[in-house]
Amino acid sequence: MTTSVIHPDSGPMRQIAMVFDLNKCMGCQACSVGCKVLWTQEAGEEHEWWMTVNTQPGRGTPRDWETMGGGLKEGHPVPGHQPERAEFGGGWEFNYDEVFYGGKGNKVHLQPLDKGDGTTEWGMNWDEDQGGGEYPNAYYFYLPRLCNHCTRPVCAEACPTGAMYKRREDGIVLRNEDTCQGFRFCMEACPYKKIYFNYARNVAQHCIMCFPRLEEGVAPVCARQCPGRLAFVGYLDDEDGPIHKLVNEWGVAIPLHAEYGTGPNIFYVPPLAPYRLNDDFSIDEETPRIPPEYLESLFGPKVHTALGKIRSELDKVRGGGTSEILETLIVYRWLDLFGPFTADPADLQRPPESVPVTLGTPSGA
Amino acid sequence: MQVRKVDQALSDPGAGGWDAVAGEKVALSKVPIDAQPTEYIRVKWAGLPYGETADADVKAAHDGTNVFVRVEWAKDSEPNAEFHDASAVMLASGDSSAANTMGSTDAPVQLWLWQDGLDGVRNLDGTGPGAFANRGTNGISAQASSADGRWAVVFSGPTADAQASGKLGVAIWNGSNEERAGIGATSDWVALEFD
Repeated sequence: MTTSVIHPDSGPMRQIAMVFDLNKCMGCQACSVGCKVLWTQEAGEEHEWWMTVNTQPGRGTPRDWETMGGGLKEGHPVPGHQPERAEFGGGWEFNYDEVFYGGKGNKVHLQPLDKGDGTTEWGMNWDEDQGGGEYPNAYYFYLPRLCNHCTRPVCAEACPTGAMYKRREDGIVLRNEDTCQGFRFCMEACPYKKIYFNYARNVAQHCIMCFPRLEEGVAPVCARQCPGRLAFVGYLDDEDGPIHKLVNEWGVAIPLHAEYGTGPNIFYVPPLAPYRLNDDFSIDEETPRIPPEYLESLFGPKVHTALGKIRSELDKVRGGGTSEILETLIVYRWLDLFGPFTADPADLQRPPESVPVTLGTPSGA
Repeated sequence: MQVRKVDQALSDPGAGGWDAVAGEKVALSKVPIDAQPTEYIRVKWAGLPYGETADADVKAAHDGTNVFVRVEWAKDSEPNAEFHDASAVMLASGDSSAANTMGSTDAPVQLWLWQDGLDGVRNLDGTGPGAFANRGTNGISAQASSADGRWAVVFSGPTADAQASGKLGVAIWNGSNEERAGIGATSDWVALEFD
C-alpha cells in the first residue's frame, strides 16, 4: 500500500527552510527556551525540547542519537531505534519541598528527584561546553537542531495511520494528534531523532516550524528569539532571499548528515574556529583547530568547499574588498533574517482574554 | 461462540458470573509481514519474532444492552519501559472483512483496543495492520486484571454492534517485544450466537 504523505496530493510544492550560521551561535539556548515556552508547557511535554542546542563534539540529545539508525539507504528505509525516555532525560522534578520547606535547606542541595528511571542521567544539553581537543587546542561549537522538515519525510512514510504528513504549500512536516496512535515508528525512522513521545497523551510530537506564526507572516520563535542574528528563515526557491543564496548559489550553507538520505531542509554555515596553537603558543595557520575530518563526519565533504569559500571571502574583505556573502551573514538589519515573515507577533489580533472563573464550594455552604 | 444472556453486567474480569459462561480457546497467529502497511515496518520487522502469543481464552456474554467479551492470555514476564501489553476485540463491518489483517481499506473492522497503562479503551476503524482511525468511544469500556502471569480483560460495548457483526476476532500485542500496530497476533473470525 503506497499513500502519498504530501498533502494535498497536487499543486505547486514549496519548501520553507532555515539556515543557522554556526560561527555566530553562542549556545545561549534562547531559541530552545523560546520554543519551550511557546509549545511544550503541558503535561507530558516536560522532557520535550523541539529545539535544542548541543555542544559539538558531544553525544547530543537524545544521548548518542547519531548511532540510532533510521533514514534511507539507496532509497529504502533503514531500521532505527526509538529513543527511550531515559535517553532523552530531563523533564525533572526537583526537591523544592525538602529544601525550602523541609527544614533541610542547609544540608540538602537542590537537585532533580531520582525516580530510578534513568531520566536524571541525561538532559537536552547535558554535555554542554565539554567539546573536544586538549588545552591549549580545546575546541567546541554549538549546533542548534530541530525537525529538518525533510524533502522525503521518512517519519511520515513509516506511520501506518497517516497521522504525519508534509504540507505541499510550504513543506512543513506535521502530525494529526487526533489520528496518532502512539506507535512511534516515526521516532524510529527519523534519523535525526527529533521526534518526542508524549507519554501522558500517547502521541508523538515534534517541531511544527511555528506554522500558526508563519501563516500570519511571523517567523518561528527560535529565529526571532535568537540574539545572535544567525537563524535565517525563508522559502528555498526564493532566489532573492538569503536562504537560496547561501544554500544554492554560494554553497556556504549545507545540511547536517546529508548521507541520512532524507533531504533535510535545515542548513548550517559550518564553523571556522581559531587556528591551532603550537607548543610555543605561536599560531599554526596551516591547521584548523576543529579537525576537518570531524566536520566532514557531520556535514559531509562539501564542508571543505563551504569553509574554503568563507575563508576566501574573509581574505577578500581583509584586503579591502567587499563580500556579499559576509554582508549577508553579518545581518546588519535584523528583519533581513526572516524573508517574507517579518510581521511582529505583538501586532497580531489575539483572541480576547478569557475571564477567570473561580470553581469551588459556593460561599455560605 | 455462544454469547450467554446474563442478568447483570460482567464488566469485571474477576466477576463470579464468568464461571458459568463457557468459552473457547481461540488460536492466534502473527499478522503477515507482507501485509504490513509501510515499507519501514516491513523492513524493520522482517526476520524478527513477533505475534507469538499462541492463543487466548475468550468468553462472551450480554445483558441485552451491552456485550461483554472476556479475553485472557499468558503475558510475557519481561517488562518494557516504552511499550505495553495490549489487546483488542475486532468486529466485522461485512462478510469480506478480514480479522487476521485487522481489516482492509475496502472492508474495515471495528476494534475495541485496550492498552496497559492507558486510561479507557480506544474505539477504532481498522483498514489494515495498525492502520487505525478513531471512531470515538461510544460507550465502549474495558477492565483488566493481571494474575499468575496472565492478563484478563473484559471489553464492554453495545450489544447491537456485536450482533451486527455476527462474529468477533481477537488481537494481542506483547509489549515486552515492542509489539504495536500491525506487529502482533490476530485470530480468525469466531461466529457469535446470541442467547
